[in-house]
This record gives sequence, C-alpha cells and structure tokens, in this order.
Amino acid sequence: MKNILKRYVILVSIFMLLVAKANAQISKAEIRATGLTCSMCSNAINKQLKSLPEVVNVKTDLNTNTFTVTLREGNTLNPKVFKDKVEKAGFFIGSLVLTTKSEISNQNAYILVNNAPKSSTEIQIQVLDKGYVTEKEFKKLVKSYTNVTTYALINEDDFHIKIVN
Amino acid sequence: MVLLFHVSIAQELFLVTDPASNVPANSLGVNVQQLLFKEEFKSGYNYHLMPEVTYELNKNIMFRATAFASNRGNNLITEGGSFYTKYRFYSSDDLNSHFRLAAFGRYSFNNSDIHQEQIEIMGHNSGFETGIVATKLIKKLAISSSVSFEKAFDNKPNYSFPDNFGNDATNYTLSFGKLMYPRVYTSYKQTNINIMLEFVGQTINDNGKSYLDVVPVVQFIFNSQARLDLAYRHELLSSMLRTAPNGIYLNLYYTFFSIKKSR
Repeated sequence: MKNILKRYVILVSIFMLLVAKANAQISKAEIRATGLTCSMCSNAINKQLKSLPEVVNVKTDLNTNTFTVTLREGNTLNPKVFKDKVEKAGFFIGSLVLTTKSEISNQNAYILVNNAPKSSTEIQIQVLDKGYVTEKEFKKLVKSYTNVTTYALINEDDFHIKIVN
Repeated sequence: MVLLFHVSIAQELFLVTDPASNVPANSLGVNVQQLLFKEEFKSGYNYHLMPEVTYELNKNIMFRATAFASNRGNNLITEGGSFYTKYRFYSSDDLNSHFRLAAFGRYSFNNSDIHQEQIEIMGHNSGFETGIVATKLIKKLAISSSVSFEKAFDNKPNYSFPDNFGNDATNYTLSFGKLMYPRVYTSYKQTNINIMLEFVGQTINDNGKSYLDVVPVVQFIFNSQARLDLAYRHELLSSMLRTAPNGIYLNLYYTFFSIKKSR
C-alpha cells in the first residue's frame, strides 16, 4: 500500500512538473505587420487572428498596424501560429513581442540570445527569427549572431528570443 | 463557422490592373462589374454585366471565374465566361511598403460577333492572356504595372476571327493609386477614399496598330469590408478599329470571408 502511494506521489509530481512547463505560455502577443497601409488589409489580419480559438481579443492600432492579441490561459500556442495567420492574410510580421512566463527560456524550442531571464515571473520577449522581423533587420541580425550557431539555420521549430524588459 | 463580409488591400485594388497582391487565403470574393460604353458608329450604349467570384487557395494562388453578359444583341444575354489564375512568386515587405511580382493567365470563351480590331477577352473575344504584374506600395501610394500577351480565337460557334485582323497582341498597363482619406485612421468603420489613374494600352503584334486609354477611378471602401469603384475610360490615342472605346464602370466588391475557428 505504501508503495502504491509512493508511486502515486511520484506520478503526481511528474504531472505537476509537466503542467508547470506547459504553463510557461504566451499570455499576450504584440504583432506589427508589414507591407500594408490600408484599413482593409489590416482588417484581413484582424479577422485571421480572431479566428484562433485561443484568442480572447485583438486590439488594433491602424496607423502603426500593431495588433495586441490577448490569449486564453492554458493555451499552448507558439510564435509560428501568428506568423501563419498574418501570412494567410497576405502580409508579413515586422516584429513580434510576446508576454510570457520567464520559464519559457528553459523550453527546448526557445533559444535565448541575450541576458538570462530576470527574477520577475512575467517577461516580454521578442522573436528574432526569419519571418518574425523585417528582411532588412534579419540580414543585420544574421551578422550580429554569428556566435549563435542555430540562428542562421532557419529551423522553423526553434525560436530565437531576446528579453526586451 | 461564421461568415463575414470583408475584403483586403485598398489603394492598389485597381480596376484594370489586377495587383500582384492577393485577397486573404480561404476567402471568397464576389464582384459585380457593370460597363456602359458609348457606341461610336451607331446610336446608343453598349452595356456589359460581369459577375465574378474569386477564391484564394493559399497566400500565393488565387482563382477567379467570370460570366459575361451584354446587350449587344439588343437583349441582355449571356455570351461567355472566363477563368483566371494568379500566382504571387515574389514578395519583399517592409514597414508600410512592399514590392510584389505575380504571374497570371486567363482563358475566355465568347459567342458574340467580332466587330473590332481591339482584342478584349473580357467580354468580347474568345482567347487567352498571360503576363506578369509588378506592384509597389510606398505608404499611401501604390504603383502597379503589367505586361501581357493576348491571343484571340474564333468566337464559336458562329463567328470566326477575321483574317484581315491581327489575332494576337501585347498589352501594357500602368496604374497609380493613392489613399486620400482618412489622413489618420481611428477605426475599421471609417470610409476610405482612394483615387486612381490607370493607363491601358494594346499593340496588335502583326501590324503595330495600337491604342492608349486613360482611366480615372474613385474608390470607396466601407466598413473595411465593401468596395465601390466608379470610373471613366477615355481613349487618348488609337490607330485601330474600336466600336465603343469610351465609357463608365461601376464595380461592387465583397469578400465572404470564412473564419473557421481553427489554426
């Protein structure tokens, strides 16, 4: 009986750990889109983002084409979802800043390129990969991150991030 | 699944030059174009009605089907149809600007009489057209230009293409569009006003006969969803036989955008 209880405790602990990892989720995404200046274009992106079930609401600044997307708790979205949605509307991402838990930098898919996470639990990170910054910026970043070997590989499944606050 | 009205892209949504950009993926656009052109050699007006559906397969490929009806035979009758596809193969975007290139092809069939040297597979001739289009957007100004090859066939079953006309042509367009209103956006509900100036030309490859038209356009966009174009087409130069070169356009466009709750 004691043994079973022990096993149960271990299982629960593992489960809790997994949940903690999954909880290192994105709560907010600030997307600046490129290549557009008209409100219909912007609306196309707005509608695409709202079609995600994880999205609570989308606030738009039409003059800067910035979309602030608030996400449901417990979601497991990664940055690629936003890239796909913006590109489906016919445009591209110029910058993507995510509000997330600081544990995110411990996840395998995320590669931190600047200083280690601060003690605060909530951080803002910018995704630096190709397709998440403007083309000009990407060319500059490739030069400045020659020491980050994975950066220039343009692997769609990992995300290079910079803590912005 | 929720259905919503909506459309994309504005100051580059030209009447004549279809831009290198596309409508959003997974959307269905419905367009009703009406043309009223003054007959040169007889009294009266030539009316054309062209309903159109556009489907965007993915971010780079779109398909369009058009039906042609006109009153050239006195009553409004359906004369033919057309299939169009466009593939965006290059895109370079920056904040508030982009440059895009696309290739397009159109196949049309029409059973009306052939009455002019101008080759027009939008509502007059059976035939095909293939070409490329480039679009540059810089803040509120869009510039688009296209070059294409157009070939006319017989208008089956009753009308063969006349032997004394050249049956293939080179087309070229140059279009400018500018967002005039609003100066500063406050919401999606604001009406946008674009003005455009388009130049449209054709040269018959066999004999060099040509025309050049200018098309000023006023475009209204309502609720970031619906689009209304009003335009006037005017012949600047022509060395070929054209039966009704000058006239007006009225264009209404909606996109039924299916937003599935999905990735």
